[in-house]
Amino acid sequence: MSQKIIILLLLAGITFCASCAEKEVVDVYDNAGLEPVTGDTLVRLLPAEPDLLNPVLSTDTYASIIEALIFDSLIERNPETLAFRPLCAEKWEVSADGLEYTFYLRKDIKWQDGLPMTAHDVKFSFDRIKDPLVNAPHLRNYYEDIEKLEVMDDYTVKFTYNKKYFRALEICGTMSILPEHLYGKSPFNNSRLNRMPVGNGPYRFLQWNTGRDIVLERNKGYWGKKPYIEKIVFKIITDNTVALQLLKKREIDLMILTALQWESQTSSEKFNSRFSKLKYYVSGYSYIGWNIRNPLFADKRVRIAMTHFIDRKKILEKLLYNLGTVVTGNFYVNSPEYNKNINPYEYNPQKAGELLRDAGWKDTDGDGILDKDGRKFEFEFLIPSGNDFREKLATIIKEDLAVQGINVEIKKLEWAVFIQNLSERDFDATSLGWSMPLEADPYQVWHSSQAEQGSNFVGFKNKRADELILLIRETLEKEKRIEYCHEFHEIIHEEQPYTFLFCSESLVALDKRFMNVKVYPLGIRPIEWYVPEELQKY
Amino acid sequence: MKEYLLRRLLMIIPTYLGITIVTFVIIQLAPGSPVSAKLGIGESLKDNVLNRKIIEDTKKLYGLDRPLIAQYFDWLKRSLTFDFGDSFKDNRPVMKKIAERVPVTLQINIIAILAVYLISVPIGVFSAVKHNSLADKAVTVIIFVLYSLPNFWVAILLITFLGGGEYLDIFPIYGLNSYGIEGASFFNFLLDRLWHLVLPVTCLAYAGLASLSRYAKVGMLDVIRQDYILTARAKGLSEKAVIFKHALRNSVIPIVTLLAGLLPAMLGGSVIVESIFSIPGMGKLGFESILARDYPTIMGIVSISALLTLAGFLISDILYAVVDPRISYE
Repeated sequence: MSQKIIILLLLAGITFCASCAEKEVVDVYDNAGLEPVTGDTLVRLLPAEPDLLNPVLSTDTYASIIEALIFDSLIERNPETLAFRPLCAEKWEVSADGLEYTFYLRKDIKWQDGLPMTAHDVKFSFDRIKDPLVNAPHLRNYYEDIEKLEVMDDYTVKFTYNKKYFRALEICGTMSILPEHLYGKSPFNNSRLNRMPVGNGPYRFLQWNTGRDIVLERNKGYWGKKPYIEKIVFKIITDNTVALQLLKKREIDLMILTALQWESQTSSEKFNSRFSKLKYYVSGYSYIGWNIRNPLFADKRVRIAMTHFIDRKKILEKLLYNLGTVVTGNFYVNSPEYNKNINPYEYNPQKAGELLRDAGWKDTDGDGILDKDGRKFEFEFLIPSGNDFREKLATIIKEDLAVQGINVEIKKLEWAVFIQNLSERDFDATSLGWSMPLEADPYQVWHSSQAEQGSNFVGFKNKRADELILLIRETLEKEKRIEYCHEFHEIIHEEQPYTFLFCSESLVALDKRFMNVKVYPLGIRPIEWYVPEELQKY
Repeated sequence: MKEYLLRRLLMIIPTYLGITIVTFVIIQLAPGSPVSAKLGIGESLKDNVLNRKIIEDTKKLYGLDRPLIAQYFDWLKRSLTFDFGDSFKDNRPVMKKIAERVPVTLQINIIAILAVYLISVPIGVFSAVKHNSLADKAVTVIIFVLYSLPNFWVAILLITFLGGGEYLDIFPIYGLNSYGIEGASFFNFLLDRLWHLVLPVTCLAYAGLASLSRYAKVGMLDVIRQDYILTARAKGLSEKAVIFKHALRNSVIPIVTLLAGLLPAMLGGSVIVESIFSIPGMGKLGFESILARDYPTIMGIVSISALLTLAGFLISDILYAVVDPRISYE
């Protein structure tokens, strides 16, 4: 269950589930001229219980889904154009040098207890993130380059960066804002509010029954466009089979399906008459990482050969039922940063064999395993336990490579231990996934400074790539930055430190009584939905 | 007896210390740390100067920067008042988290154990009386087949076929109560609760039938062969009176003592059944705490289970004396 959170490894902290940037909005239902009405309840599956509901402290994806409904940040992405648009801030200004970000707050925003939200709340939230006694180490990194936050007046704040950074607007503008008057000086980490949050967003917290559900209701005092659905119930069900069963019994309205459930367990006519199945891409990718420090994978010909040996199309078809796409690099496949001129290395064992021969790998002693200078071609494939996709993937690779004279040992480790092995660089090859914001910063995973102790655990080092990463970070002009990204993507493809696998689709089943459902590039937006009066259930 | 009790109670102290020290050391030795569990992969692998400082700060926040011995004594001192500190995971008091879940797990397990006893003792008696008959053999086979079925599989079958959706819709498959039952009368609430517990309790109970009915059978067989049973029969007592009045009471001694040993197991809960049926019990709490390296919660659960186990052993020894007058601790 916790494995799900784990697959969505947060590359850049902000848990904004971004999706296809270049796809159009799909209208699922024609409104048929109906007038939206308020009422009814949306029951949504929550596959794991969040630890707490405080956007500064919580680290899991599920908490962030709920928090996004309760808390509004200064700005948000327009779901259609993906450009930033005002939310709590009615406008913002960026200084000419790109270091100062000034936000002008709306004056009519109230916390859900009735008190107005001001610039002091923004300052308070920023100070909490920076406070070493606050349990938010996962966020602190992103705010390290912000030199200061000044309250200019009750409704104006100014962030000052100490260097140029292309994600600065996003990081300042999407920071979570908490009510200062409620938290005050009481202990922040174990505040009572962490389990009964008070926010400024379209929904307000109603109740939390431990182990059972979390209930939100429509915020009647919301300043913006109020949502139609009266209540949202997040039902906590950790077992996927049970969840699907409850969906079929119509006790759940909305859940994320697995590829298998999408493909074969929800195809009956009865199911499809009651539920619509929606899918959209999410920003992220899965991969196999080769430890470049290992003499085995130090030669890029060997790494390219490995990619040629792996039949990604077949794996995508067999394990994910083609619900995704093969990717060639580190940027989100549907974003302009991704270089579409690069073709994936095709499945070609023959070519791979030639590459290995060029690199000096031959079976000299006739035992069926390739060798070079007395060393056999064998390695350990490290995977986290309890992840069905990776276990099957590892088995397929082991079998496919055995035919080619390469001996693979699969090593499964519990998550915490797995991470420790990676941070100690104690592995040969591994498979994981990264999820990232729409505009990803490659620094953390690919810069050579991160090779010894950072997230660049495969040990990728390339002089030009380093230069490009720094250029990408400080270039605020989008066109120019995309050029750098494309060049960077080429280098990554050429060097193959990873065998890039797939960008998968998020698969959603939703009860058909909900209207005005649109699938945006960023996914679905329940705050726009409504249920016609005659179909209302609760 | 008093002296014996006192001695046994005093023995609890060093045993408790031993158990907690070993656990304390083991969880600290286990690879992975609460800090990296908290940070997630991206952050915990990010180890520049800044990040190292963040990790140090976080360790300080949790008090993990001090020597192990100091940490232990600090913990021990607090644990004497049942203050196990705050969970690393959600910063709530560990005692509160445990207290929330103990009643749930106890309820399910008490019903399950009761069901196991009520079914397996008669089965054991039946098998002993009809020893080596066809019926005895059939019962044994059935029970061992049940014993061999993995409970996650049985749970999924029960859910699929009895839980609605495409097949029969007889039992609820989620949680402990229906939605909105809070306002109902106590009786309705109880009925609803029991109705919800049928499937999970079945999953917990069926495998236990095998061992307990074996104990019951062996106990009974031992007793039936005794001279006093022969005497009872010779007196012309009915078979019923012989078995249920004279034999049964003596044969249940080993089973009664087993009961006390089950006490910690009752609190332990079952990760699998709790996860499948979305029941917030102790098994899930323990499992999740271990995965998150939530030291305070792990220690809290271990200490409480250790105390209960020790109490269980004591109770079992006392029960021995109660059911069997021949045993005394003078």
